[in-house]
Amino acid sequence: MAMEIFESGLSWEVRANSRHYHKHKQKKSFLCFHWGRYADNVVHSYKYSPLTFLPLTLFEQFQRVANLYFLLMLVMQCIPAISSVPWYITIIPLVTVLSVRGLKDLVNDMARRRSDFEVNSRPCDILVSQSFDSAQWKDLCVGDVLRIHKDQVIPADLLLLCSSEPHSLCYVETADIDGETNLKYRQALSATHTQLTSQPSDETLAAFDGLLLCEEPNNSLYTFRGELHWQGECHPLDHAHVLLRGTVLRNTAFAYGVAIYTGADTKILRNSGKQRVKTTQVEKVFNRVVIGIVLSVLLVALLHAILSGVFSSQVMGNADISSTVVVNANPVYTGFLTFWSYIILLSPAMPIALYISFELIHTVHSQFIGWDMEMYWQPAGRPAQARNTSLNEELGQVGYLLSDKTGTLTQNRLVLRQCCIAGEIYGDASVRAEDVEPMDLSWNPFSCGGLHMSAPSLVEKLRGQQCPPSRQFLTALSLCHTVVTEWKEEALFYQSASPDEETLVGAARELGWVFLSRARDFISVSELGVTRQYQLLALLDFTSKRRRMSVLVREPEGGLKLYCKGADIVILERLHKDLQYQERTERALELFSQACLRTLCVAVRSVPEASWEQWRKTLAQSAAMATCDRDALLEKLYDQMERELQLLGVTAIEDRLQEGVPETIALLQQAGLKVWVLTGDKKETAVNIGYSCKLLDPDTRLLEWQELRQILQAPDPGVSFFKARQMELWAVDKKMAGAKTAVVLTGPELAEFDQRPEWGSTFMSLAEHCQSVLCCRVTPGQKADIVKLVRKHTSSVTMAIGDGANDVNMIKTAHVGVGMAGVEGGQAVQNADFALSQFRFLQRLLLIHGRWSYRRISLFLRYFLFKTCGFALVHIWFGFFNGFSALSMYETWFIALYTVLYSSFPVMCLGFFEKDVSAESSLSWPELYKSGQRQELSSPLILALSLLYAVYSSLVLFFIPFGVFYDTALDYQTMAFTVAMAATFTATIEIMLLTRNWTKINIAAVCVSVVLFFIGTGITHSTVLFKKAPADYIFIGVLAKAFVDPVVWLTALLTAWTAVLPSFTAHAVNITLTVHDKQKVHSISPQPVELKSTFRRGTSLRRSPNALF
Amino acid sequence: MMASSYNAKEEDGHHSGAPAHGGAAAAAAKSKKPDNTAFKQQRLPAWQPILTAGTVLPAFFVIGLIFIPIGIGLFVTSNNIREFEIDYTGVDVDSPCYSCARNFSWNNTAPCLCSVDFTLEQPFESNVFMYYGLSNFYQNHRRYVKSRDDSQLYGDRSALTNPSKECEPYRMSDGQAIAPCGAIANSLFNDTLELYHIDSNGTRNTIPLVKKGIAWWTDKHVKFRNPGGNNNLTAAFRGTSKPVNWRKPVYDLDPSDPDNNGFINEDFIVWMRTAALPTFRKLYRIIQKKAVTTPTLPSGRYVLNISYNYPVLSFDGRKRMILSTISWMGGKNPFLGIAYITVGSICFFLGVVLLIIHHKYDTRNNSADIPN
Repeated sequence: MAMEIFESGLSWEVRANSRHYHKHKQKKSFLCFHWGRYADNVVHSYKYSPLTFLPLTLFEQFQRVANLYFLLMLVMQCIPAISSVPWYITIIPLVTVLSVRGLKDLVNDMARRRSDFEVNSRPCDILVSQSFDSAQWKDLCVGDVLRIHKDQVIPADLLLLCSSEPHSLCYVETADIDGETNLKYRQALSATHTQLTSQPSDETLAAFDGLLLCEEPNNSLYTFRGELHWQGECHPLDHAHVLLRGTVLRNTAFAYGVAIYTGADTKILRNSGKQRVKTTQVEKVFNRVVIGIVLSVLLVALLHAILSGVFSSQVMGNADISSTVVVNANPVYTGFLTFWSYIILLSPAMPIALYISFELIHTVHSQFIGWDMEMYWQPAGRPAQARNTSLNEELGQVGYLLSDKTGTLTQNRLVLRQCCIAGEIYGDASVRAEDVEPMDLSWNPFSCGGLHMSAPSLVEKLRGQQCPPSRQFLTALSLCHTVVTEWKEEALFYQSASPDEETLVGAARELGWVFLSRARDFISVSELGVTRQYQLLALLDFTSKRRRMSVLVREPEGGLKLYCKGADIVILERLHKDLQYQERTERALELFSQACLRTLCVAVRSVPEASWEQWRKTLAQSAAMATCDRDALLEKLYDQMERELQLLGVTAIEDRLQEGVPETIALLQQAGLKVWVLTGDKKETAVNIGYSCKLLDPDTRLLEWQELRQILQAPDPGVSFFKARQMELWAVDKKMAGAKTAVVLTGPELAEFDQRPEWGSTFMSLAEHCQSVLCCRVTPGQKADIVKLVRKHTSSVTMAIGDGANDVNMIKTAHVGVGMAGVEGGQAVQNADFALSQFRFLQRLLLIHGRWSYRRISLFLRYFLFKTCGFALVHIWFGFFNGFSALSMYETWFIALYTVLYSSFPVMCLGFFEKDVSAESSLSWPELYKSGQRQELSSPLILALSLLYAVYSSLVLFFIPFGVFYDTALDYQTMAFTVAMAATFTATIEIMLLTRNWTKINIAAVCVSVVLFFIGTGITHSTVLFKKAPADYIFIGVLAKAFVDPVVWLTALLTAWTAVLPSFTAHAVNITLTVHDKQKVHSISPQPVELKSTFRRGTSLRRSPNALF
Repeated sequence: MMASSYNAKEEDGHHSGAPAHGGAAAAAAKSKKPDNTAFKQQRLPAWQPILTAGTVLPAFFVIGLIFIPIGIGLFVTSNNIREFEIDYTGVDVDSPCYSCARNFSWNNTAPCLCSVDFTLEQPFESNVFMYYGLSNFYQNHRRYVKSRDDSQLYGDRSALTNPSKECEPYRMSDGQAIAPCGAIANSLFNDTLELYHIDSNGTRNTIPLVKKGIAWWTDKHVKFRNPGGNNNLTAAFRGTSKPVNWRKPVYDLDPSDPDNNGFINEDFIVWMRTAALPTFRKLYRIIQKKAVTTPTLPSGRYVLNISYNYPVLSFDGRKRMILSTISWMGGKNPFLGIAYITVGSICFFLGVVLLIIHHKYDTRNNSADIPN
């Protein structure tokens, strides 16, 4: 037995109805020791208890390098020999930072604790000795038998034993797990169903003593493997037998189940992994600058330490007046101590308060995105959402937008517009869906409208029973799917994971083939009023790899039929050789895809009884195998069955463009973004969508694989690319040649890139000149590979936008991932950094929020760098005139309060409210967005210039007062105050120069900062505080004395003005020159958004064919 | 000076009036709808100064036009201040204090006397401030600056007998606490300067030097306090020792005036207010104007008598005596005026340069700015 368990990998053992067995194996932990096997069903998402809050939060926060650095500073400041400033200087900012973050964590944790409590105390019915008792979720234990009511949330991963419905079917809604709101059915084993429902009582359930062997807890939501050993028989189990925690029971009065995984072992909790941390470009550059600062601080400290040693050895000879200057009469030791003193003294140049302000600004920016009314989608009641609050400025720098097609560019509200049955085309796609004249379907009691296809001839044929292929076609549509029915108020509703299926089944219903219900083994269909029961023998499900699905049914007459539907390419290669309508059908396919319709082929096969028997046996064998081999084997088996098909017809579904897509794409292209479309659809469909959404212009030349391949293989790809272009008549110059070309690739062709990695960079440099790149027929994995390709070969920021589970990979890989909250469920949103409801909201997200965020954050970082460095580097210059002794240029209290009080509010306001142009102008002049792509405000050069500027201002801050105070009777404390005042003024004037948008709050913040400086200084210079602690407030009376000294004022004003003079001049130069630039913007785009009115859907459709073929 | 636009865009209620749907779903949807407030929609009314060349360039000229006159005013004021400076360190062999400088020892009990003759070319009209100046003296060295105990100086009794560790190595002497402790106090400037005017018939007239009123009011009355009041200082300082380099204990700094003795001796207070830079001067005495008609210091010959106690040669320092009148801006300070003129000129120059650039790139209309 043990050996067997080992082999099959089914090592998780659950005994039904034996609490005592599992209870003592429950997971327990004390401190860091854990033992036991089964988790209890209590959710512990909170981290802190009253006892552990302080140590844990401190531990977490000191994992950040910046905080650790300042803790180190703090420790060093407590060593008297090197303490150049008292310890409380660092502790004020540090404690502020720690407590703000700690408080934030605490509030979050309290919320988690509350929700945990709420979840843990939800009621559930547990079978305890012969009867069901009401208990709470947290009391649940592995092996317990539960009773679930209708609309109840399932408390743990359960094995469905039986339900109140026939065949023990039950329906669950998995919205909490994958965001899909449709119902999915689960079914109990027929063994448990028959045994346990024959005498439906609590006793039979209490007597259930099955032994479950399953795989270890894992995070795969869609697979499960296990065995039920009961009454001497072994029944294989898969995910259709399992009810997952977090799903909701629907349409089913009762369901009974036994708990397999509880608490932390459940699939949903196993899935709640941590979001991958993405850092922005700006932050990366800035971190590098901070490292640079730290290194230069170390260097300067070292230099000063050496000079201090030299100085000491010079004065050491005279033991009289300067004898205190040398420690232990040892210049080397003195220098060593001075080194650390300077590190402490210069540490304010490393901006500690920056990180907390940075986070705060990011949070507010994210809130702004959620608060934007114009990104609120009224029909669904959904505002935009910033799920990741640290990527805002990246939105202002996006260079490549990689978009999914279905559901992102298009509405994913599908309508059957045309079909082709037996070579005959029905319906007309040239008419708008709304304008289609509704057919008279009054003969059909199940019809409820919604069919946008007018084909009276088809209805006639169907009702007149003339055309067997069309009848079969509709039978296929009504049988081959995974749709679930639901009766609501006497009306039949369909729910499905795939919108295509829902549309097709709905269309079949309108035409008289009504899918009525689905049981475990039967599907009932009303065919023109005649109800027929098909026995469902096998369902060969859809995967993105297979791109098709089939059902194998036994007709009421006894015949075996395989109905298959899928992508044209896979179906066509599986067709029976000699086929009458093939050519006409292929023509139809071509026509459909030119009209931007999604096509599916429908086919049928009559299966001989003998081959079915054989196939069934092999299937049963392989179903019991271990997972990895089994999947491959199943695929092979399915492949065997789906052969020699007979083509019935083609469906053409229209997937309509979302509102505002062409305008948005045009605007984004004007803003310098490269928009690429990655889709799983056919090349023709993708290209046509490309034309209709203005991604491609009518005269755009498509560069396809054959040609591209030649270019890539050419020794000098750039040259041959342009040569090829120059052959074209319209190619006027090189720039235009590139701009009017789009690359079209398909998945299999992309796969070649794997073998030729050197093509990547060539391709990217080529693609940079192109208008767009369309990738069709790509798998989710390839989508992510394309993102990786772009990331690898360009320095641009990539943004991926998509709506379905197939886009998750790409969303996660891109710098910024945007999820469309649409029809296809919530997986994309779950993994995205931003969630939008409409593609056109991208305009605002990028051009307004992104641009503003980028500008605000860049200005904020630059200013912060300037402010802290300019202020701290003064000590370097002062060192040359105080014997390199690390005497502070400022009063210690000033150092502590400067970053926190005197200079922080205006820059925060800048970070919140700054805008150079209004939202409307941002959209009217998309070219303004390009500055973000070029990193104009945050390039390393700019940051280096800010640093240089800071060094300059520190020089001014020191040397002008130096000149004034040299050989005068004015003392050190007066000079310290003068420099402090000048530094505060400099910081204030600089922020006034940077601020372009003066709200009342900005004005108040600037005034408050200056006033606070005088109040704060007045307090620390006051008599009262001096009397309390003479040693800490030695600057007593300085403010009063200096305040009335004209020299101090004149010096401070001159210093401050001189310090900001370069910035002021730069602004002036900028203004003098950019007036010119902005005028250019005017002349280039007199009506920047003219596209809005000119776009009409119908015209663009007709335009495409000649461009493609 | 700057053109400005004030856009108050409070479009209230424009979007909130969407038709209300019935039913729970609509209500739930409604709750998620963002509020239409100026703050949340980032439409806070704001003043956006429109900066154009026309508004920014004049700023340079205006600043220049403000700074240059200020600078000239400061420069003229500074130049009108009479100042006389004499170095009496005694570096050169022929200088009067050469022997005193050479033969210095802390143990000398008798002060070494020397006198320097000098001539004032022009009379000093108003009150004259007498400073001593030291060069290359690092009174702003951190170890030096910290070597004091403000609690002790504030008259704290426990600090008097148990001074702060910062005072090391001038904390204890022979088992007794040093009062005042620390290196600053220990290195108190202790030269005595006397000034004589030699009138036309060759007689020496002592010029009265006022020694009170030279310290800051807060220092004299708050920061420095004698332990147990100003009476009977000898008793108050019992159990303490004088600083090593001092000739007399702190309570003998000015025995004649109890208000100027002990920690509140003004010479001591002035010394304790440490200088910002290694070359500095400190107020020593004030020569007050006596009569309206005669200048405080008429032009003519003077003699400066020095009791040379303070060694500076060991660290290559210099000692000076400075006589100066003062103005509203304090003592002579040519730097500030020059700096103002320089910065003002630079602004002016930048203004001109920008004007040229602006004209070169002159655009046909200046209103082509992006509307805010």
